Amino acid sequence: MFGYILRKIRYFSLKNKNDHMLQNNEPGKDHNEPISHDLKKSLEVIRGILRGSSDITIHEFNFGHNRRYKGALVFIKGMVDMEAIHKNILQPLMYDSLLLQGNVDMDFTKMDTIRKNLISITESQKVTRLGDLLDNLLAGSSILLVNGSKEALAIKPGRRESRSIEEPGTETVVRGPREGFVENVDVNIALIRRKIKDTDLCVEKFVIGDKSKTDIYIVYLKNIANPKLIEEIRIRLERIKTDAILESGYIEQFIEDSPYSIFPTISNSEKPDKVAAKILEGRAAIMVDGTPFVLVVPMVFVESFQSAEDYYARPFLASVIRIIRFLSYIISTLGPAIYVALTVFHQELIPTQLLISIAEGRERVPFPAIMEAFLMLFIFDILREAGVRLPKSVGQTVGIVGALVLGQASVEAGLISPIMVIVVSTTAIASFVVPAQTDSGTILRYIYLILAGIAGGFGVIMGLLATLMHLASLRSFGTPYLWPIVPLDFSGLKDVFIRMPLWIMPERPKAIVWDDVDSYSQSPGLMPSPYKKDSNDSQ
Amino acid sequence: MGKKMKIILKCLLFFFMLMTLSGCLSAREINDLEIVVGIGVDKDEEPGKILLTAQVVKDTAGRASENGSEGDGKAFWNVSSRGNSVFDAVRQITYKTGNRLFISHNKAVIFGYDIAAEGLEEYIDYFLRAHEMRPTALILVAEGRASDILNIKPEIEKFPAFNIAKLVDSYVFTSNFYKVNMKEFASCLMSDTSAQMAPLVSIAQDEESNDIYMSGMVVFKRGKMVGKLTHDEVRGLLWVLGKVTSGVIIVPSPNGQGKAVLEIIKAKSKVTPEIKDGKIVIHIKIKEESSLSEQTTTENLADNKALEKIQEALAEAIRREIMLTFDKSRELDADIFGFGEMLHKKYSKEWKYIKDNWDEIYPTLDLIIDVEARIIKTDLLKKPAVPSEGEK
Repeated sequence: MFGYILRKIRYFSLKNKNDHMLQNNEPGKDHNEPISHDLKKSLEVIRGILRGSSDITIHEFNFGHNRRYKGALVFIKGMVDMEAIHKNILQPLMYDSLLLQGNVDMDFTKMDTIRKNLISITESQKVTRLGDLLDNLLAGSSILLVNGSKEALAIKPGRRESRSIEEPGTETVVRGPREGFVENVDVNIALIRRKIKDTDLCVEKFVIGDKSKTDIYIVYLKNIANPKLIEEIRIRLERIKTDAILESGYIEQFIEDSPYSIFPTISNSEKPDKVAAKILEGRAAIMVDGTPFVLVVPMVFVESFQSAEDYYARPFLASVIRIIRFLSYIISTLGPAIYVALTVFHQELIPTQLLISIAEGRERVPFPAIMEAFLMLFIFDILREAGVRLPKSVGQTVGIVGALVLGQASVEAGLISPIMVIVVSTTAIASFVVPAQTDSGTILRYIYLILAGIAGGFGVIMGLLATLMHLASLRSFGTPYLWPIVPLDFSGLKDVFIRMPLWIMPERPKAIVWDDVDSYSQSPGLMPSPYKKDSNDSQ
Repeated sequence: MGKKMKIILKCLLFFFMLMTLSGCLSAREINDLEIVVGIGVDKDEEPGKILLTAQVVKDTAGRASENGSEGDGKAFWNVSSRGNSVFDAVRQITYKTGNRLFISHNKAVIFGYDIAAEGLEEYIDYFLRAHEMRPTALILVAEGRASDILNIKPEIEKFPAFNIAKLVDSYVFTSNFYKVNMKEFASCLMSDTSAQMAPLVSIAQDEESNDIYMSGMVVFKRGKMVGKLTHDEVRGLLWVLGKVTSGVIIVPSPNGQGKAVLEIIKAKSKVTPEIKDGKIVIHIKIKEESSLSEQTTTENLADNKALEKIQEALAEAIRREIMLTFDKSRELDADIFGFGEMLHKKYSKEWKYIKDNWDEIYPTLDLIIDVEARIIKTDLLKKPAVPSEGEK
């Protein structure tokens, strides 16, 4: 039977490969031909390729000495700054070129001449191929074509509109910067640059997506980030052949190490300070145009339990909260499972008084405990999903109805025992504490619950062991996922269950940097103490 | 791909194989449990049979106390059945309950007086053998019938068994009896020489109320009850065992006109057996600290001279308590102190000669008691509340 399954799998994987190859052989729009020197012909070709879309604007005009040059400006409405086009492209071309009439030898069919003498926009590029021309046009450039020239000038006037920098919705902090990334990737890179003003900060550009042509940037610190890591990211990014990258999640799913794992091996963040901190540790950020979510690799499991605020607050409360986060994750995954295992299999482990009150609460409940737990978790997940998707005003109604349905009516109707309401609501609240592991937590919760229903505590332990083995086998871009617990690294453990004071942690994370060179991020012995005159004098 | 798949399938196979290996995989919904909190064992009228009483928690326990209209207002149900053995009776209870008893939460096993007199060895086996039974369950002997003790509804607690467990725990305040659980009782039972003890629980014979109280301890020898110890005698025993935690000692005041009432704060004991010239001597060294908690004279007891005299009297009182208990144990010929085991540890070579004659040797033991009693404080008052004429 296994053989049959394996054959099926092989068949499907081969089939997929063939489909992929077919897609590649499809005649692509490979416009590698040069631009014609005949303006009319060029415009005709462009119109034809763009299928006469009505948002394409083609403005033909005459310019230069005696208006003897014929030119055309091609751009897409809404993607360019009209004011810049009028003031900085058309005005210089049509009026300022007249002032240069003394220099009759100036040849405006040379794009370099135009760029150097007339255009007052810094970002411009000479293109000779039709494909490049179209790429630039679609990316928001204005294309200047001149009759008799085999070149075109792609000018990027001004900036495109961008949302203002706001506090991100996902990672709010009490103490710490309130800025968050926006959809415009240029702004995002600038936000990082403002945190790390170092010549080593490298930004590498990729364009991925046959149709979306999305700009993707790898941002990292040279000399700190492992070159092998950067090479690995490059290789993984380059093999993506897809129509569109609409969000960084697309990239994540194409480059992650274990696509079948429920645990994420690539972290994401909306906060520049958080991403900058990770870049400083030797990680690399992958920024995708059009989304405020920036990917950071490599990721380790314990990262999910760390918050930027941990490092801004003093270490004591931060450590307590760190432990609370770990406990919350345990509760959110194991809560209902342990309740079911205890009440159905191991009643002797419950304190007598508690057992008696559980028995009282369950007196009228017609379902077995596992059914009860499933029902409640299911209702909770419905409510959560409804609350997320609805507008805020309606969302509140859902919350109230949910609270009544979950909390009161179901208990009074005898469908659910009151203890189960406590267990499920505690689990639900705990599941919001570690947002980075929400999906793994939700899935594990159901898996453990089923195991507890089948085999009690034994089943839960089996499930935990399987999870542990899986976690230990995961890698994220070469870094063991459970580092620094497995493999054990004492210098890394300073920042896992408790957060040691910053001056105790001078080393960069070993499993990310790997290199011994420059592995200190601060000079050791920075423990603050009052200045002692004599002790300094004697040395 | 194929290799990975094989590994996954192998893991799954191992998982399911492990499932078949495990033993206790019986799911029981909490609604189907008959939670037993106390068990009483009595002799039945019919000879050779026993009457087992199980105290079962009612599902409606929470509501029963709130409104009396529901049922008889009791949170528990004492269900009993007859049987030829304990296990037989436990299984026959299902005729009445419909469900198997769930005895993991049993707090106390109470044996009737007649069962204790006949000997526990016939009845105790099930309680040690059954896997659901806790070795920490208390063992008690009822003065009278165990079922009567379990029937008396306590004023504060919901369940008589909980009430009894609470009473047993109160030994720390008086040191006049102590707590024995199944495991401790069984390990004493396995010793060749030591006597076993169990607290005795009685019904107060007042006119109006019939409350349960702890009336002392019962001494067993090889599982058979041989006698009872009163409260004072139990403390004599606990001094030697070093288990006195607190309690009240009354000694006459130095001028003999009133009493000085002392609270025991701390007590330590050291027992060393010695074989000297063919005679066995037991050295008992006791260190005790107490506070003056009450006085019934106008004399000022808080000066050094008076305190010294009280300390002497206190040491004497403790010595007397120990001797009283030792005399009683000699009379019963039961080694409640465990001197035999101590000798066994120290003189393992000689022990084989002593062992078989221990019953004859035990009454001839010599006790050398050395008590060091100290009064370390006089609580909140330095002078008597009503000072005598001269003191003013």
